[in-house]
Amino acid sequence: MKTMSREPKVESRKPGHALAGAGSRPSTLDPRQNSLLRQWTGPLTEDLTLHPGDFGLGKVPARLRPDATTRSVCGFCSTGCSLDVHLQSGVAVNLTPTADYPVNLGMACPKGWEALACLAAPDRGTTPLLRDAKTGKLEPVDWDEAMQVFTLKFKAIMDQHGPESVAFLSTGQICTEEMAFLGALWKFGMGALHGDSNTRQCMATSHVAYKQSFGFDAPPYTYADFEESDCLVFIGSNLCIAHPIMWQRVMRNKKNPDIIVIDPRRTETAMNATQHLALAPKSDLTLLYGIANLLIQKNWINREFIEKHTTGFEEFAAFVRQFTPDKVAAETGLTVGQLFRFAETIATRKAVSFWWTMGVNQGHESTRTAQAVINLALMTGNIGRPGTGANSVTGQCNAMGSRIFANASGLLGGRDFLNAEHRAEVARLLHIAPETIPAKNSLAYDQILQGVADGKVKGLWVIATNTAHSWIDSARATGALAKLDFLVVQDMFTTTETARQAHLFLPAAGWGEKEGTFINSERRFGHIKKVSRAPGHALSDFNIFRLIANYWGCAEMFSQWSSPQAAFQILKRLSAGRPCDITGIADYRHLDAEGGIQWPFSKLGLGTSDGSQTQTPDAIPHPPSERRLFADGKFFTPDGRAKFLFDQPRAVAEPTNEEFPFVLLTGRGTSAQWHTNTRTGKSAVLRTLYPAKAYAEIHPSDAAQLGLEPNSEIAIVSRRGRVTCTAVLTPTVQPGQIFVPMHYGVTNQLTRGEFDPHSRQPSYKHCAVRLEQIS
Amino acid sequence: MSAISPVEKPERTLIDDLLAEQRELTAVEIFARAHDAHEVRGRRYEKLLPAAAPAPGQQYAFEVDLDKCSGCKACVTACHSLNGLDDDETWRSVGELVSAETRAPMKQTVTTACHHCVDPGCLNGCPVLAYDKDPLTGIVRHLDDQCIGCQYCVMKCPYEVPQYSKARGIVRKCDMCSSRLAVGEAPACVQACPHEAIKITVVDQSKVRGKYRQLDFGIQNSKFKIQNSFLPDSPNPAITLPTTRFVTNRTLPTNLEAADAHEIQPAQAHPPLTILLVLSQLGVGLALFGALAGGHSRPTALAALVVTLIAVNIGTLHLGQPLKAWRSFLGWRKSWFSRELIAFGAFIGALGLHCVILNPLSSILAAVTGLAAVACSAMIYVDTRRPFWNAPMTFGKFFGTTLLLGSVAATLLAVLWRADSLTHIAVISLAALGVLVKLAAENRIFQFLVDEQSPHLDALNKTALLLTGRFGLLARIRVVCLASGMLALLVASFGSFSATAQITLLAVALTLCVAGELIERHLFFVAEVAPKMPGGGTV
Repeated sequence: MKTMSREPKVESRKPGHALAGAGSRPSTLDPRQNSLLRQWTGPLTEDLTLHPGDFGLGKVPARLRPDATTRSVCGFCSTGCSLDVHLQSGVAVNLTPTADYPVNLGMACPKGWEALACLAAPDRGTTPLLRDAKTGKLEPVDWDEAMQVFTLKFKAIMDQHGPESVAFLSTGQICTEEMAFLGALWKFGMGALHGDSNTRQCMATSHVAYKQSFGFDAPPYTYADFEESDCLVFIGSNLCIAHPIMWQRVMRNKKNPDIIVIDPRRTETAMNATQHLALAPKSDLTLLYGIANLLIQKNWINREFIEKHTTGFEEFAAFVRQFTPDKVAAETGLTVGQLFRFAETIATRKAVSFWWTMGVNQGHESTRTAQAVINLALMTGNIGRPGTGANSVTGQCNAMGSRIFANASGLLGGRDFLNAEHRAEVARLLHIAPETIPAKNSLAYDQILQGVADGKVKGLWVIATNTAHSWIDSARATGALAKLDFLVVQDMFTTTETARQAHLFLPAAGWGEKEGTFINSERRFGHIKKVSRAPGHALSDFNIFRLIANYWGCAEMFSQWSSPQAAFQILKRLSAGRPCDITGIADYRHLDAEGGIQWPFSKLGLGTSDGSQTQTPDAIPHPPSERRLFADGKFFTPDGRAKFLFDQPRAVAEPTNEEFPFVLLTGRGTSAQWHTNTRTGKSAVLRTLYPAKAYAEIHPSDAAQLGLEPNSEIAIVSRRGRVTCTAVLTPTVQPGQIFVPMHYGVTNQLTRGEFDPHSRQPSYKHCAVRLEQIS
Repeated sequence: MSAISPVEKPERTLIDDLLAEQRELTAVEIFARAHDAHEVRGRRYEKLLPAAAPAPGQQYAFEVDLDKCSGCKACVTACHSLNGLDDDETWRSVGELVSAETRAPMKQTVTTACHHCVDPGCLNGCPVLAYDKDPLTGIVRHLDDQCIGCQYCVMKCPYEVPQYSKARGIVRKCDMCSSRLAVGEAPACVQACPHEAIKITVVDQSKVRGKYRQLDFGIQNSKFKIQNSFLPDSPNPAITLPTTRFVTNRTLPTNLEAADAHEIQPAQAHPPLTILLVLSQLGVGLALFGALAGGHSRPTALAALVVTLIAVNIGTLHLGQPLKAWRSFLGWRKSWFSRELIAFGAFIGALGLHCVILNPLSSILAAVTGLAAVACSAMIYVDTRRPFWNAPMTFGKFFGTTLLLGSVAATLLAVLWRADSLTHIAVISLAALGVLVKLAAENRIFQFLVDEQSPHLDALNKTALLLTGRFGLLARIRVVCLASGMLALLVASFGSFSATAQITLLAVALTLCVAGELIERHLFFVAEVAPKMPGGGTV
């Protein structure tokens, strides 16, 4: 009876207002009185007590109740989610995704939720380690000795074998300021030439494709485009799993859009598709040319846009005429009907956006494939408007920073080393002699490793990447690393496959233990904060570079690079007048207050191609939070027009045959794993979210033919290696194909080192293997 | 002044400066958010919470929109972080249903947590009333400080919800973030789902009852599991009446099965329970044979008492919080665990009394309470409704053990202390009966032996496969122990030996039989395949 009389009160107090009404919800769950027989409360219960967390957080565990919070952009993928880090006395104790950040709208994937977990891992590097000549073991040394060895060894190698005998391999996982510092230190301060980054493995193709087609590496979109399209085409992108928070935006699209997925596998994304084109692996270029041909034949193209804003269309149209529907159907394994439906959907929708990721980028002709996507957007005029675009979804949290500011394959600020004017500009902006800047391009990642294998590159510095696991044909890479006279590995963890091969290990602070900026997929600068103390004597990558500059003897040249914040001001100078102009961003506080700022954001206005909104001179500038490029149809090429670029498709280098009858596909396993699992593998809760052992997805009919039982141990053999893993039978892979996630060390022991000629990105998505039963 | 020159202070180096700088955390001063930050998280969740509290006969429930679940598992990690769980502790999990249809392959990810059942198995089984189903919200809450860590709720819950922590010695589970709900805040998982696939609704308990109660408890065949109206290929909802609703606007394929349907994993071993069950049944068997022989043998009664006390003490090693176990009688209204404890208490009392007064009536009392205790032991497992722990098999095994071990031990004691005993024929007959009962109970499982490649494996198929595959050797050793123990008993009973030889033979027989029963009881636990929500998957 008591209960019944209580109900109307709840309703009447705040009628129709759920939250306020809920404030007076029944609260019999409040601890009752303990008695001899029943313990309602006590120390064990208190372990789970929640308290209001303040700071707009809602309730949080009492023992983790913050006394302050701060925002930091996540350090895993390129989505660039903001996380509210919960602090106790300045130290991070927990986190929640930021509710009012334009990227993630209060959400994070499991990796983001667990971003702090890996910082406390027992295998963190706490002191420099030097391989003892006698015992062959890595032994602790102090920073002074480490730095002396570093400079002595590299100088000796360079003195004896020249500046091209050393190289670095860096990452898309460190801050923009750190990347720029590394590139400048290496090439201008230390006088070396070769350096590349693991972004070669994920984004080199997009970089080159955009640069050639648009005149600058400029992904044109903003995440709002996911919501504003009435047709989304995903090419080689399992967005649902690889970028779950971007997928959130797709699911929030209220326009009931067509979702077209081009992927050999029936991925989670494909299951949500209105059209899934399960094409033959690496027939994507042919398919895209075929669709272009269909659009042209049916006159489903935007003549006006083509004529005003592009070049090379007529040649392109003539070229694609050979890709008749019958030919394309035969080569892709799709039906002519599927091709027509795809083309017709693109033609009839008002706002079509094209999204690609690693399925395109990691191919043997990936640059042309990415450009084939760009061509479709250009010819249908699907660019520069809300819900459109030829949009590369980036991989790493700061791949975009690397693409513009790493000073590795391109000169700082998206410039060219081969361009004398560019070199002069940079020299002037950095107050260094123009001759200090090499007039020669660096070798690419694969060429550096080839140089190592050939004995030409003798000293290598690996920063925050795990070459021995992630590089294609990893046994070969590991073998090459073993030949080095001097291998320095700078990493958070002493246990990565690559760190274990090092002669000198430098312990680095990780995400959360340092400050700087990342640039996400939609060109948004986000800020990361120092919210945790690095273990032992680990130093931020930025400070390691400062130390090296000091020991190398070029500290003077980098006297202005005194802190990440100071370096950010240098980056601003370097960006001035470039398409990626960020001179309008005052400082880190400004970034933090705005919820990230997309480039371009010039102090003169909103940048070169979207000058619609000019800031008032005195006020703190507030750029609109979601902006896209090319609204005016002006591209960054000298003539302001985008280019149609194309090439004849080439056959894969390693087709299947009787001995190796299966195509091996690789890719992301779960949203709880990141790359080589060096960080995600440290979280106990993440480890519960994916299979511990490597597995291969195999079509049931193939398994039946080979007599493979579900969950049995099998061997996969390629011309490079033989590995064992668990057989998972699923019809989501096509017969004749298998899929193995990239996070397991075995995967790249199978893959074949083949590269796109333009981007030199490895082709992870195709090699021939066979399966063997293990009795 | 001093002749000693001051020690030269080493110059501060850049390394010192950088190491010091690395220790400084400045984010707070520069970037900390203002304390008065408004509640921004809440707004998005209003529509995911019910507008009003449950009326009488109603309760809160999770509703999962299968069409929206993308398998990102943010719910699992958010629950973990926002509830401050232990490192590898998770209250929510994400599994997968897959369709074997090769033309239109389908994966359906399923997020699942506690179902806050209308008739919660955990609550019904708890011997110390460490569960409370809130009368207003229907939330099934675990009282962590009341828990004794017996893990019976783990066995009673068909959904793997209560999680035992060895370090803490208790189980913990999802409480639907009741303290959040109480102030109008969404539970952690609801807050964290990018697709708003999880929400809290109010359901009528009678509707849940009506929907599931007519289902037969006994239905365990694959076809039923696949077409389950709660969720395909998941435990029978009639057992506990789960309130979670899994909804979809699509027509799910009829052949959906759990992604881990073909996984055959042995269950956890419980050595203290294994010993408890075998030795306590030996004790009851001794009391039974003591009574059958007239109840005049104090050694038999004493032996029964000692063995039972040892059994019970070893049994407490199973508990995570043994000091709190004195409350275990509290659940007697519903929990067979409490009833077993009370029955064993009565048995030990009766045995103690009998040891003192040595009266035929007290011996009968001891035997009856002992047999009741064994029945309660069996009911503990039968009541979980796990297929391998069904009544015929479990009662057969437990009473078979009682007869077998009781007869062998009683014979040994009779020879040792020249106590009264039944005739050899009678003893052998009862022992043989015990063996027959056991063999009948134990062999039933092999009716369910199928090819591992069969399209659908249910729990009993998997148990049979475990007992012939992974545990095949152990199962055979168990048969050899039983057979050789019986042979030794026969030889000792009918051969003509010196007293010492006879005693030795009988001791060997008892040892072999006890060893055999321990193996059988170990297999009773490890070869059992617990029901569970769809798991596995590689998303």
